[in-house]
Amino acid sequence: MFNGRFTCSIRMKRRVFYPFLGTLTTSDGTGGRALSQFWKAWEKRKASLRNAALTQHANKSMESVPDTILSSSLEENLALLEKQLGKSDDLVVRRFTVKNGTEAALLFIDGMVDRGVVSEYIIRFMASTSVTYEKPAVNELESTDRLRQAIRNILSGNAVLVLDGQNKVFLNNTRGWDRRGVEEPKTESVVRGPRDGFAETLCVNSALIRSRLKDPNLRLKHFVVGQRTQTDIYVTYIEGIAHQPIVQEICRRVENINIDAILESGYIEQLIQDTRWSPFPQIQNTERPDKVVANLLEGKVAILVDGTPFALIAPAVFSQFYQSPEDYYERFYIATFIRMIRGVSMIIALLMPSLYIAFSSFHPEMIPSRLVIAMAAGRSTVPFPSVMEALIMETAIEILREASVRLPGPIGPTIGIVGALVVGEAAVSAGLVSPIMVIIVALTTIGSFATPSYSAAIAIRMLRFPLMLLAGMFGLYGIMLFIIIILIHLSSLKSFGVPYLTPISPINLVAMRDMVIRMPFRWLTRRPTMFHPQDEIRKGGEKS
Amino acid sequence: MSQLGKDPQHNTFSLWQMTSLITSTLIGVGVLTLPRTTTEKMFEAGWMAPILGSVLTFFAIWLIAVLSRRFPGLTFIQYSRIVWGGHEQSRLGFWLSLPWIMMFLIALFVTTAITSRIFGEVVVTAVLMDTPLEVIIVSMFVLAVILCLHEIDTLARVNEILFPLILFPILFIALASFQKAEWNNILPLIRVPWETIITGAFETNFSFQGYEIMLIFFAFAHENTGKVKAGFYGIGISVFVYTLIVLAGIVVFGHEELQRVTWPTLELVKSTQVPGLILERLESAFLAVWVAAVFTTVANGYYAVIYGLRQLLKKGMLFQRIASIVLIFPLFFVAIGPQNIVELFKMTSLIGYTTVWISVVSPLIHWLIMLYRDRGRKREKGSDAHG
Repeated sequence: MFNGRFTCSIRMKRRVFYPFLGTLTTSDGTGGRALSQFWKAWEKRKASLRNAALTQHANKSMESVPDTILSSSLEENLALLEKQLGKSDDLVVRRFTVKNGTEAALLFIDGMVDRGVVSEYIIRFMASTSVTYEKPAVNELESTDRLRQAIRNILSGNAVLVLDGQNKVFLNNTRGWDRRGVEEPKTESVVRGPRDGFAETLCVNSALIRSRLKDPNLRLKHFVVGQRTQTDIYVTYIEGIAHQPIVQEICRRVENINIDAILESGYIEQLIQDTRWSPFPQIQNTERPDKVVANLLEGKVAILVDGTPFALIAPAVFSQFYQSPEDYYERFYIATFIRMIRGVSMIIALLMPSLYIAFSSFHPEMIPSRLVIAMAAGRSTVPFPSVMEALIMETAIEILREASVRLPGPIGPTIGIVGALVVGEAAVSAGLVSPIMVIIVALTTIGSFATPSYSAAIAIRMLRFPLMLLAGMFGLYGIMLFIIIILIHLSSLKSFGVPYLTPISPINLVAMRDMVIRMPFRWLTRRPTMFHPQDEIRKGGEKS
Repeated sequence: MSQLGKDPQHNTFSLWQMTSLITSTLIGVGVLTLPRTTTEKMFEAGWMAPILGSVLTFFAIWLIAVLSRRFPGLTFIQYSRIVWGGHEQSRLGFWLSLPWIMMFLIALFVTTAITSRIFGEVVVTAVLMDTPLEVIIVSMFVLAVILCLHEIDTLARVNEILFPLILFPILFIALASFQKAEWNNILPLIRVPWETIITGAFETNFSFQGYEIMLIFFAFAHENTGKVKAGFYGIGISVFVYTLIVLAGIVVFGHEELQRVTWPTLELVKSTQVPGLILERLESAFLAVWVAAVFTTVANGYYAVIYGLRQLLKKGMLFQRIASIVLIFPLFFVAIGPQNIVELFKMTSLIGYTTVWISVVSPLIHWLIMLYRDRGRKREKGSDAHG
């Protein structure tokens, strides 16, 4: 393989040379034609290998069920269905006789169906002669003669009714497993605002959106993703507001997902985002229906995934990770003030430890002289350079935070007290760290908690470690180098065609009204134009 | 030319992005020595030098914008051959335009290297005394390479977002230092002969170098009409900043003292004390923030060189990435070429003279030829030529 590639590249070189002279004498041709051909062949080979692997993989999942037509014999059908499901023990086959004497069987998965519906409205209705109605009395009733669809319905919690002498089976909607109710979201609590959050069930989540947005233009597009999990997802948008190319792009990417399992919306987020190699989230997630509705009204697209309370919102820009739905529920002075506080806390969370390192080891002349004496006194017993001191403390606080997240509720605060207070105090008095360092670590941690979005806060938390290392190497110069790198990276990011830093660069004055400063609603008359909404007017007809 | 229609990066720069691109490229290491270089010949009238010197710059940016407006969507690399050879004789045009293009690219390349070298010198003498000069230079180049790995719209957005970071510190320093101003220092207003003022103003033009990158970047303008406006805004902001900083230098130190310091602006920062601020001495913070200004100068220049090469050889993004990494080796050797700071300043003024050729004479020649051709075509067809 390698040998072949090598000879190919040599031949390629020779071929490049003559056509290149040729291009000078004849017309404008591309010099590296042979090189690009080589690349194309290589890409094609990679693609074909990948496709082969994928088809092999697909055979193992739902597509492995042959899409045959069912027969009209009850026994044959039952054998067919049971063979596909491998005589799984949670598969219930309830045989009974329908009132006109036909043999029937009801297949469902134990625990996934509402038992009351099954016994009361299917079996009793079909069997008892006192009821004149012929068919099962469930709210959704379909029929099919396809094996694959029958299997799929059994697996998603429907009861499949097979009648002898008919090659059509009835698919009854009996889904009714135990589910968590609508509760207050744990991760995004607000002081003022609605208390309901998404649950794990897709239809409940879509109903929560519908109940807030009684717009006939609200569209929910259904997709099934994941060969083995067959997860249902809804791509939600408002027709007439959302930019159609963005919607199409999202649908295209969702359709192209090729994975065996989707267990959380985070899978989808990582599979459809633009840049894989970025610490920053390019798609927002939220548990709050009101936030989803607000974003839909800005012309964005939401993706609801079955089995998780976290909905995705795309496209996302950087500034919206520092906004909370509460900003719109309070008066604009308060909202603006809180947004500024969040900005400051982000800067503290990112820069504080590295600024300490830079000041104390490179630029002590910048610190006021009294403070520098106090700092030197505090540091006099510390055996490490300030980089090491900061790295150790920051690592310790990250460990502490991770530990308290995993612990069950009542023990969590204990860890905080033991870790932060006892260990911190003891470390200072033992002379391991300086008191200033403890203050800085505490401020950093509190600062990173003030971010409304958890995933954006993680990115900031993570980036402060390389920043500390660079500050230890080059002082303030190093900090600035890294900030420029982050800014280059942020500028290069795009979320579904929308530049990530949008209201700031490229500058967008309409969207700026709702960035750091949340203008009063009187002035928020237009939707932010960066998402290219079709209907730009949010509020019209006001005469001034 | 052929790939223009397919190029997704086409027509992406807004007016504001072009303005910030020009200003942030112009404002760089030049500001650090500007109060000294302008007062060298013009004494108390040094603060007029940026204003007078900008006349030539305004003319040059107007020429560049007009040329680019005549060939919308084409860079200097692409339209130069059309100017020289017309649409018919593209091979002749290529060979005739090659010297101009190479002169442009090489001069930009050397400017980039020297800029980073000067900044390295400043950093090493002022804040990071124990760090080798080479490390600072290389770290600057690494940033430039990281930018070059991205598409051209990223360049515009980076400049846009760094623009306030460049503008505010220098305005802050200039305004804060007026506390110690001795306004008598600028009197008498003019006491040197007019010839000296003209040479002084001409030499100040060197500190405006960098706008020649617009020979390339004007091609990506969002609207064809905003180019002249963007150029004038960009230069105008720089002139304002330059005048303010020279004025601050003169009124704080006086022109005799300015001649005795290597980095007068840095001294200005050192002497600035702002009551109520937590930080005692600002020069480290200023230099740290100034990294952004130097970065935009170095990276924009380097990007223009790499992009120019890419267009000259008609290659794609992959070539740009590889070339940007490979070319930092020669760039580094150019940067460490000058043995000491005296040689460095000599080289800077040498580059200044060359840049006049690149950014004034070359566009002027192109423009004249273009006018001649257009008129010839108009006479032939008897109809109006567009542009």
